[in-house]
Amino acid sequence: MGMHIVKRENLPLWQKVCLYVGAVAAALLLGAVLLLAIGVDPIAYYNRMFTLGTVGNPIAYKVYANYLADLVPLVLTSLALSLAFKMKFWNIGGEGQFIMGALATAVVAIKLGGVLPTAVVLILMCLAAMVAAGIYGLIVAALKVKFGTNETLLTLMLNYVALYLLTYLMETKVPWNFLLDPTAVRPVPQSFDKMVKFPSIPLVGKFSLNVCVIFVVLIGLLIHVYLRRTKQGYEISVVGDSAGTARYAGMKVGPIVLRTVFLSACLIGLAAAFKVGSTGILSTTITEDVGWTGIIVAWLAQLNTWAIFLVSALVCVLHYGSTVAAATFAQVDSSFANMLQGVILFLVLAADFFTRFRVVMVKKGGSDHGNG
Amino acid sequence: MTEEYAIQLSGITKAFGSVVANKNIDLNVRQGEILALLGENGSGKTTLMNMLSGIYQPDSGTIRVNGKEVSIHSPEDAKRLGIGMVHQHFKLVDVFSAADNVWMGREKAGFRLKRNRYAEMEAIAKKFGFDIDPRKKVCNMAVSEKQTLEIIKVLSYGAKIIILDEPTAVLTVQEIQKLFTVLRKMKDEGHSIIIITHKLGEVMEISDRVAILRKGEYITTVNTAETDEQALTEWMVGRKVDLNIDRPAMEKTKPLLELRDVCIRSDEGTTAIDGVSFYIRGGEILGVAGIAGCGQKELCEAIAGLRPIEKGQMIHKGDNIVGLPPRVILEKGISMSFIPEDRLGMGLAPSLSITDNMLLKNYADAKGPFVDRKQGRADAQQVIRELEVVTPSTETPVRRLSGGNVQKVLLGREIKAGPNVLVTAYPVRGLDIHSSYAIYDILNRQKKDGVGILFVGEDLDVMMALCDKILVLCHGKVMGVVHAHKTTKEELGLMMTGSLDLTNKYEDKPAGIAKDSLFGDGQQKVEG
Repeated sequence: MGMHIVKRENLPLWQKVCLYVGAVAAALLLGAVLLLAIGVDPIAYYNRMFTLGTVGNPIAYKVYANYLADLVPLVLTSLALSLAFKMKFWNIGGEGQFIMGALATAVVAIKLGGVLPTAVVLILMCLAAMVAAGIYGLIVAALKVKFGTNETLLTLMLNYVALYLLTYLMETKVPWNFLLDPTAVRPVPQSFDKMVKFPSIPLVGKFSLNVCVIFVVLIGLLIHVYLRRTKQGYEISVVGDSAGTARYAGMKVGPIVLRTVFLSACLIGLAAAFKVGSTGILSTTITEDVGWTGIIVAWLAQLNTWAIFLVSALVCVLHYGSTVAAATFAQVDSSFANMLQGVILFLVLAADFFTRFRVVMVKKGGSDHGNG
Repeated sequence: MTEEYAIQLSGITKAFGSVVANKNIDLNVRQGEILALLGENGSGKTTLMNMLSGIYQPDSGTIRVNGKEVSIHSPEDAKRLGIGMVHQHFKLVDVFSAADNVWMGREKAGFRLKRNRYAEMEAIAKKFGFDIDPRKKVCNMAVSEKQTLEIIKVLSYGAKIIILDEPTAVLTVQEIQKLFTVLRKMKDEGHSIIIITHKLGEVMEISDRVAILRKGEYITTVNTAETDEQALTEWMVGRKVDLNIDRPAMEKTKPLLELRDVCIRSDEGTTAIDGVSFYIRGGEILGVAGIAGCGQKELCEAIAGLRPIEKGQMIHKGDNIVGLPPRVILEKGISMSFIPEDRLGMGLAPSLSITDNMLLKNYADAKGPFVDRKQGRADAQQVIRELEVVTPSTETPVRRLSGGNVQKVLLGREIKAGPNVLVTAYPVRGLDIHSSYAIYDILNRQKKDGVGILFVGEDLDVMMALCDKILVLCHGKVMGVVHAHKTTKEELGLMMTGSLDLTNKYEDKPAGIAKDSLFGDGQQKVEG
């Protein structure tokens, strides 16, 4: 028996959904076996995981708020990445751009917080983050346009530059380092959540909605219109599909690439501003890997704006729920949660492959069809 | 089973997904014959032959080689059975010498490069009358030499059945003759040859028998001596076709586009176009003939403003257009469409819809920040209607359309813009006969409307029938401009290889410079 892979198009939606659901089910089954092996009741575990531990929880509203706080940066980063990906610019540098945005946010918050009115500081935090992240992305785009360098490698490597810059600033206790708390002996990040913070709107009961959630939905709407309706969005599609054709149509491909990557990185910076502006403190793990997860989300959503919202929400349930469940059961630690998450994502990506291709088995030899 | 067949295929079926490329095909090849496999693009010729050479496996059906049933799983299996295929796109290592390329693919090559490999190759070349230097590196070879090397490679592996996939597409008239001589010699040695082609003239000349495929199905096999081109076409297309191409006589206008001593560089920095002068009048079709890759692409790109002009002048209706950006040239009414070998690389965005592709050149004209898709949809509907594009809807991605329809969309958009100069390169590349004639009609309609057309083509027969004049390029130089109805294929062939230079044929008028040129260099007097 041999096999080969055949491309398929126009798979009905219900079959796609079945494939994805099947993949998740298979991953959960695998996880259940492992859970049984270490003596945990899988049903109880999964129950806890998928309800995010809200059932019977007197402070469930906090869970929802925390869930949304996780969701906002992921959605925005995924949306931003989808802009660049649509142009076939493989921006793997979400992490780095996010960190640069986070640093800029913290600098503005610490220096201007309490000096200027809060609303002005918040706006300045967002702008600073967008410019910092935007320029960090623009460097790579400019090198690509000018010298034809590989954007995947450069954005990837700049992630580490940004990460270690952040680590340095978070661990170096010197007088000039205003990012650290001057009153502490050990290097502890300076908290500013008392001075500036994105406000929340009280809704039902004790639950209040962070304004960033509303902003993100609005930005999603704008991006949808931008990509589908505007000339610039049209240019992104053409450049992504065939740069030769774009040039032939008289488009200035270089400036289009620069513009789009800048916009993409800016939005990642904004995601960082939302995150840092909500937690009110910087840390070396501030990104929570949204630069990486965002790539998977954008890819699974096939760069569709609304699908990005849906996929992000599900990935976040997985992420958040795993952490909650791991905290409940003594035998399971957070590494197990991470592993289960990895298995689910891996199988979902495999299902994604099967929505685009199918494997055909080929029988050796045509002899069984012979008629002599 | 009869003994005389080298290959017997029966009931071969092969499907790719839902597309059936070959359906229940029966085909026999005799020992020591040249069999032409004739069919339009997409009729499944190459797929069928790829199953013989082990690249694909049939879904069902049997293959017999010399009467024995076999299954061929890989090119190595095919090699062992004595089947060799020369592909359309050569499979050679550029930095290796000819002899090393042959040595490399050998069944028992051994660990060491033997010194006698050059002599071995020379012996084979001599036996069949090839002309090749075993020490020459592939990257220094002309296309015809590469093809010769591919054939030698196949022969030296001991192939008795040789399949050639469109071998003449890349050759000049003279080189084709040389190839045919070699093929006849191989036949006399007892080899069976299958030659895939869609050029009827060559079929009649070289083959003993012709097998015809249409839309994946086997139609018939006939003796070449007992048939003619008209009958073959009808089998191939499935109905009666008029093979004549119109050439309406038109009142010519003043030169629209004039090039004078133009030099253009290629991507590698070498000179692609070297001191070329020509002009196009309204209401005429100027053909550009030449071997593939001798400056056609660079010339088209330079006219459209996509490639800088190193030296020389280019004027449109008397105005200089050298150095203008592509969009400005477009606005002047010069439209360029180029069908590259992969057919989708330039001019269309394959994943976008027909509507979006219609907008490609005028999306910026809409007011405000938004794209005017309503206009695009209307344009798409008009092109679909007028050029009879077969598509489920205006929103279908272009890559889902068949080749003929893709080219109609491209040409339709160019014509819709109402150009006065239409540069079109290989517009019928890969099209079936019906679609090709539809494209010729479209071009002739434009010509009647007074558009000046530059037609870069491949098929000399077509160019001689369609064009008014033909400009011949050889390595970026003009070899002369001849009247299409006065010239012969042989003359064009000689000019294409550079053996015949007709640029100074008329001493009173240098080639490519109009008597009533708008360059204003005093020559207007002549017409005065």
